[in-house]
Amino acid sequence: MNKHIKHAALTVGLAIGISAYGSAAFAQDCTTKIGAVLPTSVDWGKPIAATAQYVVDQINEAGGVAGCQIEMVLRDSQVDPKVGVDAAKALVDLDGVQVLIGAVSSGVSMPILTSVTVPAGVMQMSCCSSSTAFTGLAQEGKTRGLWFRTFATSGVQAAVGAMVARDRGHKSVAILYKNDDWGQDIGKLIAADFESVGIEVTASVALNDGQASYRAEVTEALKGQPEALYLALYPKEGTAAVREWISLGGTQNMIVANSLKSDEFRDNVGLQYLGNTVGTDTASPRSESASAFVEQYTAHFGGAPSGPGLANSYDATMIALLAMEAAGKDADGAQIASMVSKVTDPSGTPITADADGFKQAREVLAGGGSVFYQGATGNVRFDANGDVSAPAVTWGFSDAGTKELSFISLTDVDAFMASLK
Amino acid sequence: MIGLISYLVFFTTVAAILSIAVLGLNLQWGNSGLFNGGVVAFFGAGAYTTLILGGTPQEAHLGGYQLFYPLALAGGMVAAGVMAWVVGILTLRLRHDYLAIATFGVAVAFENLMRNAEWLAGGAQGLRGFERPLHAWLGDGFTYNALFLIFVLLLLIGTYLFLQRLILSPFGRLLRAIREDEIAARSLGKNPARIRLTAFVIGSVIMGLAGGLYATFYAFISPQDVLPILTFQIWAMLIVGGAGNARGAVAGAFLIWAAWTASGWGLSRFAPVDLQLYTGSIQFVLIGLVIVGMLLWRPQGLFPEKLVVSQSGRH
Repeated sequence: MNKHIKHAALTVGLAIGISAYGSAAFAQDCTTKIGAVLPTSVDWGKPIAATAQYVVDQINEAGGVAGCQIEMVLRDSQVDPKVGVDAAKALVDLDGVQVLIGAVSSGVSMPILTSVTVPAGVMQMSCCSSSTAFTGLAQEGKTRGLWFRTFATSGVQAAVGAMVARDRGHKSVAILYKNDDWGQDIGKLIAADFESVGIEVTASVALNDGQASYRAEVTEALKGQPEALYLALYPKEGTAAVREWISLGGTQNMIVANSLKSDEFRDNVGLQYLGNTVGTDTASPRSESASAFVEQYTAHFGGAPSGPGLANSYDATMIALLAMEAAGKDADGAQIASMVSKVTDPSGTPITADADGFKQAREVLAGGGSVFYQGATGNVRFDANGDVSAPAVTWGFSDAGTKELSFISLTDVDAFMASLK
Repeated sequence: MIGLISYLVFFTTVAAILSIAVLGLNLQWGNSGLFNGGVVAFFGAGAYTTLILGGTPQEAHLGGYQLFYPLALAGGMVAAGVMAWVVGILTLRLRHDYLAIATFGVAVAFENLMRNAEWLAGGAQGLRGFERPLHAWLGDGFTYNALFLIFVLLLLIGTYLFLQRLILSPFGRLLRAIREDEIAARSLGKNPARIRLTAFVIGSVIMGLAGGLYATFYAFISPQDVLPILTFQIWAMLIVGGAGNARGAVAGAFLIWAAWTASGWGLSRFAPVDLQLYTGSIQFVLIGLVIVGMLLWRPQGLFPEKLVVSQSGRH
């Protein structure tokens, strides 16, 4: 490590000396920019961006990446594809970033990928884009290995939802899903999973954003008299739909996706109606690093990480920075992307998801080793398409927010998913 | 420096594509007084059709005909035109705000159709798989972007010249006559319904061209691209530039798009770190202020319409 730092200091010192700035130089005099395109003008987008910024602050305090401080230039996508693409293009061309964090919506991430980052050879790491279209694009070889996401494809979540329904002995289930790419994906996947474990799907109903009432949709889902209800919704329409569902006499046996893991949803529906609700999530808090994430986050932001995508955003940013560290100073996007497997290597040294873990990783990487990042969403590992599989948890609502009910290891998840096919 | 040029090429391409759409709206609203509240439907029809015709085969939905690019683009324009013709026959009897509401409804229906009809265009996941024309020779980097910009600029100039001629022709005078006083025009033996429909279809075909260019530039289109916000943006461009003046329409498109992107860039660069998270909201406020200010102090736009009383050829 010392050799590495000394070498870096020497190089930078020399460079600054030659360019006649003269002042006492040390390694921290340089700044490396990374870009972020996130929907900060949307309520749930702000905490995702704040989490990414928090990672950058932590790493800077721990000495930066490859001897340089990191500056994250944050741009708002406004959930508008052309605004997001323009912002990404400006970050790549004007700020010269080699790593781009973002976006959240698949409809924004995709055009950024096809028209900005892939042509420019910049690595793109998304916290939250879930569309299966990315897997297809990667399989065609069109992402050139530059695309990663820390949001486990909806497959894991759907499988675990089916597992919960089976274990609780439900015979029939109705599905309500958000009518966007994520919702359509997961709605289709879970319907197939229910069928293959022998549960009847009585109805599968799409909910559009921003309606004042979902009575028609809820009534349609109620018709088949299902024993349980599966919800792949966001808090806003989730609250409205569940209120009507319960007031019309629907069952309180509910299985919900991680998007409803929010205090807003719990408070607006009322905890007394949520006793029989089980949520699924791709796993978190098993390793020490993950519970450390919750502690750190709570200490820093004054509240537990309860919105969608926060742990994913933390991991996306951290893995990107680790890969930058591994690739060294002035690496380009492709070089950084090729290092991602080196920092998520199951046979490497396990490191925690915090500043100390980063310092440890720096030493191991400088010594030519590889590390295994123990993330806030579990032991993140990317496949050839940049997708992650992940262990899973089930959770329920409690007075304090949410509590974990059970943990399903990666092996169990993989085995169960294989049994479905 | 190369970065700056590369970004400016990218920016100009998007602005020029939007300018074409604003020119289409200018023919409808500026010259003919047709309040099209569903610009995005015609833009989207062009975009989707172009990608369906010109894209590579995709699983589980229509498309992948891999047509020669200009043909695919023409197909997109035809689709926008046919849609405008059908919508026009149904709604052009409506005036002003009624027409606006009806066309707005068409746009919302279009977006919902694209979001839900997975067999048609991939549903909410959107439509991908378009291979950029000549990418084997040009790649997909700066060279391609620069040549694509030239292509878009040529089409913009072509559209502009075509519309200028159209407006100065007897047909253009007829449009203004109907816009100003339909009964007077009718009393002279003209058929306002047919003329209005023609103008509506021509404007929509131009919007379809813009949509086709937009989708092929990104090599992707999804329902998120055809939300009502785009209609709003294109209207804002026309209002600020000056309805009824084609030069104003183009200037408005460049100005509003520049303001939209530059405000985001400026805020991300100069706003204090604490405020960074709120730059998105601040940006909305700033853009809103520009439009409201414009409507208050210069409602005719930056380049007001020049009213020509007699035939231009006589001067």
